[in-house]
Amino acid sequence: MATHLVSVLNGLAMGSLLFAIALGLSLVFGMMDVLNLAHGAVYLVGAYVAVALVSDGAGVAAFVLAVLAAAAAGAVLGALLAALTRATTHHLDQALLTLGVALVVAEALSLAFGNDVHSIAAPEPVGGGVTVLGETYPVYRLLVIGFGVVLAVAVYVLVERSPLGSVIRATVADRAMVAALGINTGRVLVGVFAAGAALAAVGGVLAGPILGAQPGLDEKVLLLALVVVVIGGLGSVRGALLGAVLIGQVQALGTALLPEYASFLVFGAMALVLLLRPAGLLPARTGVHA
Amino acid sequence: MKAEAEAMRGDTGAPQDTTTSVLEPLRSGPGAYLPGRRRAVVAVAVVALLAAAPLVLSPYPVSAMTRMLAFAVLVIGVDLLTGVTGLPSLGQAAYFGVGAYTAVLVGVHITPDAMVQALAGLVMGLVAAAVTGWVAVRARGIVFLMLTLAIGESVHQVADTWSAVGGSNGLAGMPPISLFGGPSLLAAGFVYWWVLAVAALVFAAVALVVSSPYGRTLRGIRDNEARMRALGYRPALARYGVFCLAGAVAGVGGALWAQQARFVSPGDMGFEVAALALLSVVIGGAGSLWGPCLGAALVLFVRDSLSASIGGHGPLVLGAVFIAVVFLMPRGLAGLTGTRARLRNLTSARRRKENAS
Amino acid sequence: MTEPLVTPLLELRGLTRSYGSLTAVDDVDLAIARGERHALIGPNGAGKSTLFATVAGTLRASGGHVLLSGQDVTSLPEADRARRGMVRTYQHSSLFLDCSVLDNVALAVQRVHRVAHRFDRAARRFRHTEAEARRHLDSAGLSGRARDKVAALSHGERRQLEVAMVLATEPALVMFDEPTAGMSAAETERFVALMERLPEQLTVLIVEHDLDVVFRLADRVTVLHLGKVLASGPPEAIRADEAVQRAYLGSARAEDLFADSGGPR
Repeated sequence: MATHLVSVLNGLAMGSLLFAIALGLSLVFGMMDVLNLAHGAVYLVGAYVAVALVSDGAGVAAFVLAVLAAAAAGAVLGALLAALTRATTHHLDQALLTLGVALVVAEALSLAFGNDVHSIAAPEPVGGGVTVLGETYPVYRLLVIGFGVVLAVAVYVLVERSPLGSVIRATVADRAMVAALGINTGRVLVGVFAAGAALAAVGGVLAGPILGAQPGLDEKVLLLALVVVVIGGLGSVRGALLGAVLIGQVQALGTALLPEYASFLVFGAMALVLLLRPAGLLPARTGVHA
Repeated sequence: MKAEAEAMRGDTGAPQDTTTSVLEPLRSGPGAYLPGRRRAVVAVAVVALLAAAPLVLSPYPVSAMTRMLAFAVLVIGVDLLTGVTGLPSLGQAAYFGVGAYTAVLVGVHITPDAMVQALAGLVMGLVAAAVTGWVAVRARGIVFLMLTLAIGESVHQVADTWSAVGGSNGLAGMPPISLFGGPSLLAAGFVYWWVLAVAALVFAAVALVVSSPYGRTLRGIRDNEARMRALGYRPALARYGVFCLAGAVAGVGGALWAQQARFVSPGDMGFEVAALALLSVVIGGAGSLWGPCLGAALVLFVRDSLSASIGGHGPLVLGAVFIAVVFLMPRGLAGLTGTRARLRNLTSARRRKENAS
Repeated sequence: MTEPLVTPLLELRGLTRSYGSLTAVDDVDLAIARGERHALIGPNGAGKSTLFATVAGTLRASGGHVLLSGQDVTSLPEADRARRGMVRTYQHSSLFLDCSVLDNVALAVQRVHRVAHRFDRAARRFRHTEAEARRHLDSAGLSGRARDKVAALSHGERRQLEVAMVLATEPALVMFDEPTAGMSAAETERFVALMERLPEQLTVLIVEHDLDVVFRLADRVTVLHLGKVLASGPPEAIRADEAVQRAYLGSARAEDLFADSGGPR
């Protein structure tokens, strides 16, 4: 029972991180049909910011500084990507642009940090463990779960309850209609792009003590985020949350029971959802969007 | 099944004309081809020229050219999807990898016969595409791109963690290939000739498909899928068919790749390979077959050969190339030839604008 | 209304289509005999385009039935209806823009000839199919442009090509959705001439705003108003019908309502 609890907690921590990472990908896709293939690279930027700023035994201050720096770097990258992709209306071109940025950023990172695997220590005060139902569990991961809950509530309030959120939701549902109403969505789009990228970069810092930083991690994270978006439904906040929690659990369970086949399980989950609900579990739009 | 049919028809109660405008005009190169005979002469001349390479070049560049040819086979498959059918794919590297792993496993455990390995690669690429493709072909455009990426990356991660295929270490120890029960082909030139022969065969086969009624059906799907349905077509089936076909082509390419390297690792089927294959198509001009082959050679040259002289940072250059291509060469290499192509470029740019508004 | 003695080619029974609480097509009954030229008219928002799309299978019916030669096709998707001989055109030409003019027609022919998925030979070697496609281009007056891309054609030529493509599917019923919209007077004249040359046994359903075109081409006219059939009969009767005049004059002058283009879509 207790080992199951550990697995569930691990899954929740992973789910929290995945939600933070996938949210921007999903909203950007939903609002402007831009598939941001540089999203994993933005995440990796965050992870390496943590490598640079958080030394072993560093305190909370260094960690918070890393979070802020990563958020800033992510926002800048996101705004840059938004500007680049707005230069063309052609969706394949937009995807190719982000792909180019992804390659450049990943290569620049390996240029700066080498190809070694870096591990990042959790900040000192929360680096220990705490006993949960007779099992020792890292405090840091519990905090990550807490962060996920806070983020989910904050995003829910922002997107579902605020005027800005209603513009975002309406843009996802019917861009042409929002434009026809005379609402200038340009600034909202850039803002969402930047905020989503900032969240992904922050995810990179927060995931640092769990996943570390190394070349190739951007790919893995992009894949997981894509799967979350596909499962949850494009452009849907609730979908992203549900998808992230589900994939977090599948990952943790897979890693605990069949480490070799964890990636089979993730793909299987995605295939199953696509078979039963082609538009995802909680689609923001009805029908399969072409 | 019923839900699927509904999804395919896009029947969501929305005004139907939106389905037409949602279909993206994808970049495509000149669809017009040289007259048959002239084309055959050019093709023979090119193959003859390529075949002469090992006679004048040292083994190292010959090996590099062998890799380019194998990669070009993958790129032809990507072009069949992206350029001809209008389904931009980032997942073909997975079937390329499946072909490569199959060839190595066959080589290690069963036979060094290159023909058997290539056929096994073809079959396994086809099977892998058939098993995973039905998920992807229900989507179009950018969603298709996303799904193929997710599928391809999943297969990549499986190869990376599954110890039965060597995990992240990959599979080594593949014996040199042989042909028709003959001796092992150790010289780079012989391997090159074999790979060239197969690549030329694949090129010819895909060119035939493109010029056939089925190729016309695929172009129709690319241009206007709603119209195809109104003419009585069931595009889903044709899309699935071409996905399987492209998987088989990628499988052959992977087998050739492994036969040259005599080693395979998850890196051979990762995101970067998929991205570079798509880049080759875009550089070369989607829809034209020879353009993407040139693109493949160029991309591999930058990544493998040029990379060494710029401190191993080829991907940096390629990333910049990606960005530059989108802004500077909207129709790729194939689009640079002739004024007709440029004219078409203009009209389609105008159409793009119309569709966007 | 006279009850036809033979099975009508197209029959609508209580056909209904609603978007949420809005009923765009409301309980429409209609019978069109084989070879008939039937026009569908009505003021803006009358539900013409919705009715049209529901008959073609582009939209699903919310209720009622569509019968083709007495067979219920209500649940069939658009492609299957097309295979049974119901083909539509679109308000804005819907063609394959990056393909050649010949390819556009050949796409229709090769489906009928059941060779659309063959890849063992080049398309030009399917001589029967190619010849048939060229014949259709000839009769549409486009044989000189076979090798050109559709993107290079004028608006009028695209309409002609669309007719050729539709006829190449060997249809029993062709549905034209506002075919002369956006055409110049000369182009309209040429198009009407093309329509008048259509094979006699072909059944035609046409949604049209230009009443001159309607009264020249149609054997019978159905007037749709607020999603319901207001009147149906020969052109002269429709012109004289008081209910029709009231429906048009009740909200504005007749010319305004008829001349406006663009339906509920």
